[in-house]
Formats: sequence, C-alpha cells, structure tokens
Amino acid sequence: MLKVLRDLLKYDDRFRIAFVFLTAVVVMILLSFVSPYDPCKSFVVPWDLPPSREHLFGTTSRGQDLFWWLTYAVRNSLFLGVMTAIISRVIAVLVGLTAGYRGGWLDRVLMSINDSFVILPLLPILILLGFLLRSRMNLFYLAVILGLFGWPFDARLIRSQVLSLKERSFTRTAVYSGTSGFWITINEHLPFVLPIVFATTINNILWSIGMEVTLSILGLSDLTTPTIGTALFWANQHGALVAGVWWWIAAPTLVAIILFLGLYLLFMSINEYIDPRTRLRLIGGE
Amino acid sequence: MTSTAGGAATAAFWICGLQQLALDALWYIDPDAGIDGVWDNALASEPPIYNDDFTQMTVKLREGIYWSDGVEFTADDLYYTVDLLKNTPGMSNHGLFDGSIDHLEQPDRNTVVFYLKAPNSRFHAAFTVRWGAQYIMPKHIFEQVEDPVAFKYNPPVSLGAYTLRDFDPNGKWYLWERREDWQRTSVARLGEVSVKYVMYIDPGPSDKRVIAQIAHELDVIHDITPEGRITLARESPSSVGWFPSFPWAHPDPTLPAIIYNNERPGLDKKEVRWALTLAIDIAQVALASYKGAATISAIHVPPTGMYPQYYHEPLEPWLNDFTIQVGGQDYKPYDPTAAQRIADLARESLGDLVPTDPDTIKQYIGAGWWKYDLDAAEQLMLDAGMQKIDGKWALPDGSPFSVPLMSLGESNPTMNRAAAMVVENWAAFGIDTTLDAQANLWPIMDAGEYAAALAWTIETWGGHPDLFFFLNSWHSRFYVPSGQPDMGSNSMRWQNADLDRIIDTMQRISFDDPQGIELGQEYCKLAVQEMPITPLMAYNVFTTMDTTYFTGYPSIDDPYTNPVPNWGNTKYMFVKVKPREA
Amino acid sequence: MRRFVLRYLIPRITQYLTIIFVGVTVTFVIPRLSPTDPVEAQISTITARGSTLDPQSIESMRVALTELYGLSGSPVEQYFAFWGRLLRGDLGPSLSNFPTPVSELIGQALPYTLGLLVPALIISWTMGNLLGAMSSYYPKNRPLNAIEVLGQVVRPIPYYIVALVLLVVFGYFVPIFPFSGAYPIGTHPNWSIEFILTYIYHAVLPAATLVLVGFGGWFVGMKSLTSNIISEDYVEFAETAGLKKNKILFSYIIRTALLPQLTGLAMTLGTVFSGALIMEVVFGYPGLGSLTIRAIYSNDYSMIMGITIYSIIGVATAVFLMDLLYPLFDPRVRYQ
Repeated sequence: MLKVLRDLLKYDDRFRIAFVFLTAVVVMILLSFVSPYDPCKSFVVPWDLPPSREHLFGTTSRGQDLFWWLTYAVRNSLFLGVMTAIISRVIAVLVGLTAGYRGGWLDRVLMSINDSFVILPLLPILILLGFLLRSRMNLFYLAVILGLFGWPFDARLIRSQVLSLKERSFTRTAVYSGTSGFWITINEHLPFVLPIVFATTINNILWSIGMEVTLSILGLSDLTTPTIGTALFWANQHGALVAGVWWWIAAPTLVAIILFLGLYLLFMSINEYIDPRTRLRLIGGE
Repeated sequence: MTSTAGGAATAAFWICGLQQLALDALWYIDPDAGIDGVWDNALASEPPIYNDDFTQMTVKLREGIYWSDGVEFTADDLYYTVDLLKNTPGMSNHGLFDGSIDHLEQPDRNTVVFYLKAPNSRFHAAFTVRWGAQYIMPKHIFEQVEDPVAFKYNPPVSLGAYTLRDFDPNGKWYLWERREDWQRTSVARLGEVSVKYVMYIDPGPSDKRVIAQIAHELDVIHDITPEGRITLARESPSSVGWFPSFPWAHPDPTLPAIIYNNERPGLDKKEVRWALTLAIDIAQVALASYKGAATISAIHVPPTGMYPQYYHEPLEPWLNDFTIQVGGQDYKPYDPTAAQRIADLARESLGDLVPTDPDTIKQYIGAGWWKYDLDAAEQLMLDAGMQKIDGKWALPDGSPFSVPLMSLGESNPTMNRAAAMVVENWAAFGIDTTLDAQANLWPIMDAGEYAAALAWTIETWGGHPDLFFFLNSWHSRFYVPSGQPDMGSNSMRWQNADLDRIIDTMQRISFDDPQGIELGQEYCKLAVQEMPITPLMAYNVFTTMDTTYFTGYPSIDDPYTNPVPNWGNTKYMFVKVKPREA
Repeated sequence: MRRFVLRYLIPRITQYLTIIFVGVTVTFVIPRLSPTDPVEAQISTITARGSTLDPQSIESMRVALTELYGLSGSPVEQYFAFWGRLLRGDLGPSLSNFPTPVSELIGQALPYTLGLLVPALIISWTMGNLLGAMSSYYPKNRPLNAIEVLGQVVRPIPYYIVALVLLVVFGYFVPIFPFSGAYPIGTHPNWSIEFILTYIYHAVLPAATLVLVGFGGWFVGMKSLTSNIISEDYVEFAETAGLKKNKILFSYIIRTALLPQLTGLAMTLGTVFSGALIMEVVFGYPGLGSLTIRAIYSNDYSMIMGITIYSIIGVATAVFLMDLLYPLFDPRVRYQ
C-alpha cells in the first residue's frame, strides 16, 4: 500500500495535487475536533469582519468564525458523501454481481430498471422528495435518499466487469467442480470487482456532496447542520454578496473547489492505476 | 394574468399591479394614517349603514365613477358581483356570501341592501380593503361570459386610474398606463394622478433588486434582506425608506410570534410558555433576523400603524408593574430597556446609521420586551413540575419534552433567521429543539401537528383599532382539537372564557364604538397573562424608494399610506407621488 | 429488417416505456408518503395573508379543492385516474397561479430551457470531442493541453458553484454581462435581429456554465478512446500510406470513436438537464429551473409534480429519439 502511494506520488502529477488538496481537507476535518467555537452558536465573535490573521476566512453576519465553521462543514459534507457511497455501493455491487452472474431474464429486468434510473433526471425527483420530506430531513436521511439513487452507473460497470470475468477459465473450473453460484460470486469475482468499487466510491462521494450543495441552495436539506451547501445557503439568506461580505461566499466556494478537485483527481489517478481499460467510466460524468 | 376579480386567490394578482391600479372596492382602511383619515369611502359614498340588530347593511355608492371602457359604475355591478359569487361554487367568497347573506335588494341605482342570515356587525369587512377584499366586478363584461370561474379577465376592464397597456407573457413585467379619464375614478377626489406609466416588475431575488436600485433602474423595491437595505443606505443616498434612518423598514400590521400548540403536554402549562419566553434573548433575535432593524412588541398586537397610540403606550405603565408568580414570589418580567439594548448592539456594527435619541428609538425599534432571565425560566419550569434530566428538560413524568420550532423557509430569510436564533436560545436553556424550516407551515399549524412555530396569527387593520378582525375565529365556538384542520387563525388552540366574553362583547358593539379600544386592551392584558403565543416584532418589510425620478413617497413623517407595493392600499401613492422637477 | 426490429427496436421501445412507467410511478408514490395535504396547503396559502375568509367559506372551498385535485377514492383508483389525466395531458391547475393549468406554464418556460440547453449541449459535445481527439493525435500541443486542464478543473465542480462564480465575476464585479434574465425588462420576445442579439448576449454566461462543466468529460472520453484507435494497425497503415493527417483524424479516428460518445451523450442527458435547472436559478433565467424555484417558494405542489413528470418524459423521449437515430450512424446495427 505504501509502495503504491510512493509510486503514485512519484509518477502522477494529478495524484500529487490530489494529495495536497486532500491533505488540506483532512487537516480541516481534524481541526474541527479542536474548534474553539460551537458551530451551532451565533454571535460568538464580532460579525462581518473580513479575513484577517485572527479570523482566517473572516466572520459571518451571524457572528461566527467562518474558518472554524467550515471545518465542521467539510467534515459533515464528507460524512454525507461517504455514507451515500456506502449505501449505493451495497446496491450497486448486489445488482451488478447478480445481473452479471445470473444473466438471462433477471439480468434483462435488472438492467432495464438500472438504465431507467440512469436516464431519469434526478434533480426534479430529488426536489419533489426534498420538498415533501423537508421537516424530517437530516444528513442521514439525505445520505439514504442519495444512496438509493446513486448506484445505477456503477452497477452497470460492475456487471460488465463480471461478464468479462465469467469468460475466464477459472470460473468455469469452479462451476465444473460444483461450487455454488453464490460462493463463486463472492470468492472469485468480488476480489476483481473491488478495485472498481473503490474507484467509483470516490466518484460517488463527489456526486453526493455536489447534490447536497444543490439541494441546500434550494433550501431542501437540513439547514442547521453546517455543510458546504448550507454555508452558501445562509450566505444567500444574508445577502452576503451585496452586503459586501464577499468572503462568506468566496471561502466555502474555495473549500468546495479544493475538495471536489482533490477527490476528482484522486479518482482519475487511481482509476488509471488500477486498470487502464476502465476508461469507459470517463465517458460520462455523473 | 388570470381572472381574479373574485378575490385574493393568486400570486400574480398582487404582483402584477391589478389590485393596486385596476380594481376598486367599497371601502379602504389604511394600515397607517391614510390621506384623509384611516377610513376611506372609495366606491361607496359613506360608511356602511346597519340596522339596530345588525341584520341589514345598506351601501350607498358614489356617482360619476366609470369603468375604463366608458360604462358607468352603478349598484348593478355590486349587486351582480355579490349575487354571482353567492351562487357560484368555486369562486372565492362564495362560502362567506352564501353562508351569511339571505338576499339582496337594489332599491335604486346607487344603493344595495344586504339582508343577513344572522346579526353581524362586521359584515362590511368583506368589502373593506386592508390587504385585499372583495373587489367589484363589471357586470357588463361578466354577464356575457359562460363560465366565470375559468374566464381569463384579460385585458381587464379597469375601475382604477390605470389600464393594462402591455405585459410579458412570462410574467416578468406588466406595464400600466394612466387612463385619459382618470378623474372619473374614486382616487381622483384625493389629488391629481401624475404618474403616466407604471410598471410592475419581477426582478428576481433580493440581491438583484438592490443592484437594480443602486443603478436607478427600479423606483420602488421591497422584500429585500436587511443587509441589502444597509447596502442601499451606504451606497444609494437617493434611496429612502419608511423611517428616515435605521431600521428603515415599513412595519406591516402583522405580528410574527412564537406560536405554541397549547394542547401539547408541557406547552399546555402557562408557566412553561412563560419560561420559554424568558429564555429568548430578544436582542439576539432582532440582530439575527433583521440585523437589529426590527420593531419589537411585548404585547399581542403589532407595534405598527396607529397601534402604539391605541395599545402600546397606554399599556406601558401596566406592563411595568405587571407580575407573574415565580417560585411563589412576585416577579416583574417586563424589561423596558430592550429596544435600547438592540440599538446599542446594532450600533457596534452599523455605527451612526443607528439613532441615539431615546424617543426615536422607541418610535422606530419599539419599547420594552420580556427579560432574558434563565434563572426565572428555570424556576418556572420547576413550578410547572418539569424535570431536568441530563441537562435536558423533560415532562413531569420524565418522558421527553421536545419543542422543534417550525419556521418559514428560504422564501422568507428574516423569519427563518429569527427562528434559528430562538432555537439556539432554547437549546442553551436545555430545551430539546431543532429548526424545522418549512416552505408552507400553515397547513401543519392548522392541523395542530406541531409544537411551536415562528409565524403569525395576529394581523390587524393597522389604522383602525378594531381587533375583531383576527379575534373572530379565536372564539371557543370555532375551536378544533389538534389533529383536525382549524378553520380560522386559532391554530394555537387557545380556549379561554374571558376571551370569549371579550369577543362576544366586541361583536355586539359597532365597528367604531370607543369601547372597542377598551376591550382590545383587556384582550392584550389577558394574552400577556396567559402567553398562548410569544409576540416578537412587527413584520418589517424593507420597501425602499428611489427619489431620483419621483418624490412624495409615504414615510413615518407623512404616513398617508403603506408603501409596500403588493398591498392594495398603495393605490393612494399614485395621487401623492410626483415626478421630480427637472 | 425483421432482426433489426426484434433485436434493436423492440427492446428500445420497451426500455422507453419502462423509464416512463418507473418515473411516473415514483412521482405518484412520493407525494402520497408525505404528511402534507395539498388541499390544506392551498387553503392556507390563501388564508395566510390576512384574508377575511370566515370558517364556513373555508369549509366549502375545501370540498371544491378535493374534487379538483382528484384526491378522492382509494389509492389504486387515484393511480389510474393519475395516468388517465396524464395521458390527456392534464396536470391540473397551478396552485400559485390558480387557475392557469400547469402544462400552460411549463409550455411557456420550456422554450427558454431548451433554447439554452440544446445549443450548449451541442457546443460542449462537439468541442469536447473535437479537441479531445486532436489532443490525443497531437499530444504535444500546448493550447490543447491548457484546455484539457481547464476542462478537468471545472468538470467536478457542481453547476451551482460554476454558475455563481461566473455571475459574481462577470455580472457583478466586472459587469460585462447582464446580471439576470433572458431579455431586458420591457421588451417582448420576437424574431427581430436586434432581439436575437440581446437574447444571445443574455445567454452567454448561462450557456458558458453548461459548456464549461460539460466539455471536459467529452474531452477526456474522446482522448482515451482515440488513443486506443491511434495505436491500431489501420491508422498506422494510413500514415505509412501517406494520407493527410487531418484526413486520418477526421475520417478514421473521430468517426470510429464518435459512436460510444453518442451513447454517452444519451446517458448523461438527465444529468445535464438537472444542471441546467440549477443554473437557471442562479441567473434568473425564465425557464423550467426558475419555474421550479418559484414553485418551491410558493408551495406550488401541483407545479412541482408537473415539472417532475415533464422532465422525466422529456428526457426519456430525447434518449429514445437518439436511440432511433443511432443506426443511421452505426452500420453494424442496421445490418446485424
């Protein structure tokens, strides 16, 4: 593992940038545990102060230190992303393996549903859901909802991987030796599928955090939890732009770009490292 | 634009200028002082004439008023309007008219007599515009229409001083032109209508409105954030507001409050409601919501229009001496310095924009509010038998006591920000609470499926002291238990015998009876004692007017009407606003 | 031909119908899980703002609205009634612009969304593919590499943030583009040259958002597809045969790689459409996105339903049409 890291750091520019960006993100997350301010408290510092040495990203119109507040935001956003990714991975792996291994009518039905979810425009559906579930919305529910919608691209990818594995000889050997289908899937296919699962996980985290930003802007997420999306939501609610409190918009935007780029470059880099042929993934961005 | 002469049923109705420029009603009550007094006989020539037992209402109409297509306005139109609505399900006010009017008579071309099914001393309220009311429809147009419910009244025939000249099919703008014969409308007797063209525009969210006014592209903007207003104060010297300085906003006669469901365990106790009140730091709420630019109220009527004179000032000595029982002792909860504290805190970031004169502060920011006193709040909770378990309040039997606070979501930033602050205050006091931002909290409140909400159930005439306007549906006769939809504004489910008596007495006296104010004050005292809801502040609307091209806008110093452009009363602005001399 | 119908056409039509069935069913089920009753919501919207309605009149309105929204009967009956109304194109009246039908309002907004989305999609797809192919064929070209970096940097950023940055920078701090809208206040949409020019001027930033976020994906995809092709024998053969470089690039390399990219375009339509909605919110562009946010703010439940269903049917139909056109480009499908 360390060797992989060293190789990537040595040979891949993208990985180096990703490494720097994600280290910054991790540092912020760690700092949130020693934050001097509770993000749920207002008017703990003077409000509307521009960035300075004392307040790195300035202060908000609610009297919060923006830097420390954003440490929680990054933590929560990433938590959401990881939760979503876990939930949707479970579905993607199950659907992908089943469809790929069983084939036949089950494959056709699963892939038909799968493709429906790929093509359906998600945002209007999520807006409808968010609109109706708003009172109960929190990060966990949001992760579940996003997880329930975030799997189809990857399920198809895993299925195609399984299909190509199926043609390889060791599967046939296993079948002839009488091993049950389930164990073939678990023992023989999963290890080959896992690298793809890992790569798509990063992409899924990215997608989930982006969706949270979008839904928060529309006021359709849990607004009292600090996230990158709610940072921008509250800045808009306080008219930060025309009020001249530009840092309230600039800082979360900057943090978001670092987080998104870091994850994206990591994804690209790992993707190629694992398997140059999985470039299929690169065709469409989620 | 759609057929809306039947009542305030659509959004486009007040955004496009229709109710301000083209529609007219029998009477108007100004939310402020009015041009010629609070009461204006618009299409009617005099106030409603009731018989002794309030079962008949006679309306006399003005002569010489014409529709914009040249047809004269007569009692035929009024008779037709009411008759059509009474007999057409699906049109607004159908239920009201069908339920309360027995029959109509039209003795001559300027008179209509309403025979009511039951005595009702406030029946004229349906025809009296405060925000909106029953506007009169043109008989000669609608009688030729097959289905009046689906009829698109476009272009509308106008009874106001303007006609619709052009509009954007996407609803971005509506252009109105002054009628050649504007003298033949009801506003003409109050002055000259000088503005030739009026355009109502949908300019997008607050930031876009502010930027457009700084560029002098929009003369009147409203519903902007406090921050946007502060930016205008700093960067656009030609922009003026209702108050000449901080807090600028026009306080609408609506009272944002914390509304409790008085039937929830815990919240059914007056001590608990009082404890929650004393656990709110009004100064922080004012800062978080309006950056301090709020007009606060300790009592249960909005501190706006003529109400400080009718209610707030006369009650101040009583408030200063008012006591509640805390731990068996008399406790004075009133803090007369609250507004002063808000001004001092606001001055920290806004400096000289905030007034210093105590009288000005009282007029602009309000008088006192309730103390922020966590010790007293704690004692009150204990008095009510509540327990504190692991730093969180629980019900007397130890089960959880949870008070999530609903608020209006992103469409209403200031209210949402106020609610977020209250949640923070309560959490600090050990209440299990969360912010529950809802785009539409009204149905949830009506159904009683909530614990607390930051919203409003108290709206007043603003100019006229009669409180029957909102108290009507608070009578226990209309009480509906939680779980079933409430049909009035008593969504907190407050039932009180004294309140019933006050409401009954109000209904028996006439609208202008001086006893009305006394009864209103009695209601205010009762509400303070019981605290069924916690009053917060006026609904401040940052309506901002650019004086680059026009002058004569209403303000606290010339409060002839409300400048908030979506109100029907703003039709009076057009006889006072004049182009600036070049 | 029969094989084509059986193997290609029938499965595509089945898939098309499946998407619509899944989408419509989801849209029907979601609101019925919600505690909020649209009838109560509508009544409250009217009573919230100081209307003088009394209890009796509200009750009679409640009865009328329940009738109007087809909320009577069992869920199964409602589901069939829902399909029935849908097939007749009737999505009911908008709550906030009562009684204007939802379909009419969507019909007004749709041209703006499509007028922006379709050109932006074509530009970003063409540009991404062309530049991507060139970049793999001329790997040392500096401007191409710079464009690749730009595309890769913007690609993972959510549409909202890209739109916001463009608006703040080019609409506010350096105001060279309009801050809001699709055309100036006071003008009517028409076909004059003058109006078309202002329309394009207003569309620059919104379209730039979609292109910037979109083209990077096509760029990388094309680059990796073509780099495989370049190493294939026939390309080397063409080169040794002395064919012109541009001819090789366009006739052999890009043509071959375009087919999977075309499939990719169909697969991402839903995502790009979602991005266009949120972009419109930022720019106040009068399309479906702005209609959506207005509906959210005014609790126009029937409008949100309508927009969701229209989006599903619209995107599914677009994908289906692309599937139908696909055989024109790919002879293998035709002759299989």
